[in-house]
Amino acid sequence: MRKKIFAVILTAALAVSCLAGCGKSASNDGSSINVCVGSEPDTIDPALNSAVDGATYLVHLFSGLAKWEQKPDGSLEIVADAATELVDGVENADGTVTYTYTLRDGLKWSDGQPVKASDFVFAWNRAASAELGADYGYMFEVVDGYEEISAVDDDGNPINPDAKLNVSAPDDKTIVVTLYNAVSYWNELLAFPTYFPVREDVVSNEGWATEASTYVCNGPYKIDSWDHQSVIRLVKNPDFVDAKDITMSQINFYLSDDQNNMLTNFKNGDWQLIDDIPTNEMASVKAEYPDEYVVAGNLGTYYVCWNVNEQIMPEGSEFAKDEYAKAEVRRAVGLLFDRNYICDEIGQAGQVPASSFVAMGMTEPDGSQFYENAGTNSYTGYYDVSADAYSENFNQAISVLKKYYDYDEATGKFTNFPTLTYIYNTSEGHKAIGEYLQSALAGVGITMNLENQEWATFLNTRKNGDYSIARNGWLADYNDPICFLDMWTTDSGNNDVQFGRGAHKDGAVYDMDLTPYGYDIKVQGTWSETYDVLISTIKRCTDENTRYKLMHVAEDMLMDTGCITPLYYYTDPYMISKNVDGFFANPLGYKYFMFTKIS
Amino acid sequence: MNSKLASYIIKRLLLAVVTVWVVITVTFFVMHSVPGGPFMGEKAISEAAQKALEAKYGLDKPLFVQYTTYLKDIVTKFDFGPSLKQRGRTVVAVIADGMKTSAKLGVIAALIALAIGVVLGSFAALRRNSIVDRIIMVITTAFVSMPSFIMGSFLLILFSIKLGWLPANGASRGGLILPVITLSLSPMAYITRLTRSSMLDVLGQDYIRTAKAKGVPRVRIIFGHALKNSLLPVITYFGPMLAYIVTGSLVVEQIFAVPGIGRAFVTSITGRDYPMIMGTTIILASLIVIMNLISDILYKIVDPRITLE
Repeated sequence: MRKKIFAVILTAALAVSCLAGCGKSASNDGSSINVCVGSEPDTIDPALNSAVDGATYLVHLFSGLAKWEQKPDGSLEIVADAATELVDGVENADGTVTYTYTLRDGLKWSDGQPVKASDFVFAWNRAASAELGADYGYMFEVVDGYEEISAVDDDGNPINPDAKLNVSAPDDKTIVVTLYNAVSYWNELLAFPTYFPVREDVVSNEGWATEASTYVCNGPYKIDSWDHQSVIRLVKNPDFVDAKDITMSQINFYLSDDQNNMLTNFKNGDWQLIDDIPTNEMASVKAEYPDEYVVAGNLGTYYVCWNVNEQIMPEGSEFAKDEYAKAEVRRAVGLLFDRNYICDEIGQAGQVPASSFVAMGMTEPDGSQFYENAGTNSYTGYYDVSADAYSENFNQAISVLKKYYDYDEATGKFTNFPTLTYIYNTSEGHKAIGEYLQSALAGVGITMNLENQEWATFLNTRKNGDYSIARNGWLADYNDPICFLDMWTTDSGNNDVQFGRGAHKDGAVYDMDLTPYGYDIKVQGTWSETYDVLISTIKRCTDENTRYKLMHVAEDMLMDTGCITPLYYYTDPYMISKNVDGFFANPLGYKYFMFTKIS
Repeated sequence: MNSKLASYIIKRLLLAVVTVWVVITVTFFVMHSVPGGPFMGEKAISEAAQKALEAKYGLDKPLFVQYTTYLKDIVTKFDFGPSLKQRGRTVVAVIADGMKTSAKLGVIAALIALAIGVVLGSFAALRRNSIVDRIIMVITTAFVSMPSFIMGSFLLILFSIKLGWLPANGASRGGLILPVITLSLSPMAYITRLTRSSMLDVLGQDYIRTAKAKGVPRVRIIFGHALKNSLLPVITYFGPMLAYIVTGSLVVEQIFAVPGIGRAFVTSITGRDYPMIMGTTIILASLIVIMNLISDILYKIVDPRITLE
């Protein structure tokens, strides 16, 4: 009998403990906002972070020299934050450029200590150092001294352990930094999380950025609590110099990687913003929540990349080693894809058909769109992506391919195109696009097998060039087309096409003449030899207009190879509750909640 | 007798250590043979940074050296190393965090399954072939055969979206209720069926008939004789079940966004976070081995006729 009573009590206790706390999870009186912009971040150390969700947390926690701000008309600009103003650089005799910033009065860390200029100096040297090995260490490549500080020997040890960037703090208020040359996107870099300050005594604890108790920051918010894999709660930092302008007292960043779960939480009203929507729900969500569903621009391009060393000519073809012919074939194959179909029927998230590699949203010095000026055609970009142009593109592609492959007029199919293999990483969206590409090519007799690889394996395969065609995508780090162009230099870690490697190292010879742009540079060499010179010239170029012209030349060269087949420009679809005012996002996808109000 | 049990336990513990060592060794070498590395991303880091990181975490050393260092650190310092992905956190900290939730979820679900399962099963056995018995059998058949992702999604839609009674997020207040129910339904149904059939078996035994003939009260027959003896198969099932619920609630964790160990395990594999993969594998393997051992020992305690070899 005793046992029975015990069992009953146990059962009752369990039931009660389980049901305790039952009820609505998030009551909202307007003083806090619940949002989800990603899963548990790998890191929220400003120097180590390279993720967009991590950057969103960081812009709330830190205050760098500059920041993104929304103007009353809704447009965005970069303004001074911890600095009194964003000064112009002074050119030195050796061509380097020096900037001198003054810190505002009253800047404090979240533990009450004053923010000093030396904190910036320390943070920048730390972030750029080879020792830290940060993903975004190269963000400092424009700063004088970066080459020395980032160099390592074959064993991975820093070659110059004592090297420092050319940045100094003559007093607690002044920061002096020297760049190799003038950089048009310097202010944008200053607003980038990698450039945020950290304090030496704080980060000497390696795990400082993993718990709320050890996290010291200098921005509008501080971390109240962090339940790993679950939620990061930010509360307003009363010591922040502009605290009076911050309208939202608490931000709860829920951490989830499950799109369906996010959507459920949004639908039942618990969360006010979710940054990810399940692809297969996109259409129904759009119809059901027309006011909450938002598609923002994003500086990125979804594309297909070809391994430049892959043989795509039929066996015994006289063009087997002809680089120009292969480029023409790749460009022609790229015309067989109906990008409007991909965006409207598969992506369904407002993606824009891409006719160039440098993404939509990148601007020229005069404010116009870089992609609209790409190529030399009457239409925008390197090929016409308007819906009516597809059949003409298709016919043009067929007539080009006929030059190199046997074509059966009766069936309308090529008979000797070598079999291709398209690799993509596991994802329903990538798979759907792969299947479309496969069917489009099958229509003209080209067999393309699909191969799905798990993420890390996929990255490895693509990086090593063990593929013929691969899914690819690129999101810019800052608003400058060079992000899309310098990744194709021979030594770049992102050179998935393998330009200048393997057989391509001894490829055809090109002439490049930069004298029309005011440079005494004429290069004769392989594609990569000329391209590498062009990119380094662009990086040293201080005249904005010339620089942008050269970047168009670089993109022309890149698109000429046919190795890049852009499909669409990325967009950033998210859902935000109608009750939220004062929210904005920047072109890099960072979301800003500090000025929100819930009505 | 007791010394026999002690020597059995020692023997099994030694065997457990060997099992875990085999798991460690196989996982270690298989994991390193899979292409890709922990420092890869859509955007490649510079070769210098890659080398610096590999040197920092000892990944530049020969594989066998890494293996022996790893074993040595575990045995001598109980050091499972740092997470390569969540920089600044140790594997032990990440696992402890995940286990807090997973263990709570798993233990509550297992106990509920046990409590309700035994009661329902006994009830069904005692009311054999009645309408109640049939209803219980139909429902449990459905629960046993329904995969947790369907049950989870169903409960989510009903209680979170349609009715709005419970949160969809495991991290919210009351957020563990739905995952606990989802996790417990299938083992509960299974325990119900186990208890029922074993109880029926016991009720047909001679000693029960003898007890009845002697005029022992029904309650005493059921709780004193029948229930205890019919719990043997449930005990065999319960130990490993608890281990599997705690370690294998991955799908449920995913559906309800519960911050448990299952998610840590999967993300560590896709991210090639080597020390995390090893740490989670070792914990999960140990848990299963230990639960099996406990279940065997309990078996012996409940049924003294069984000899442990």
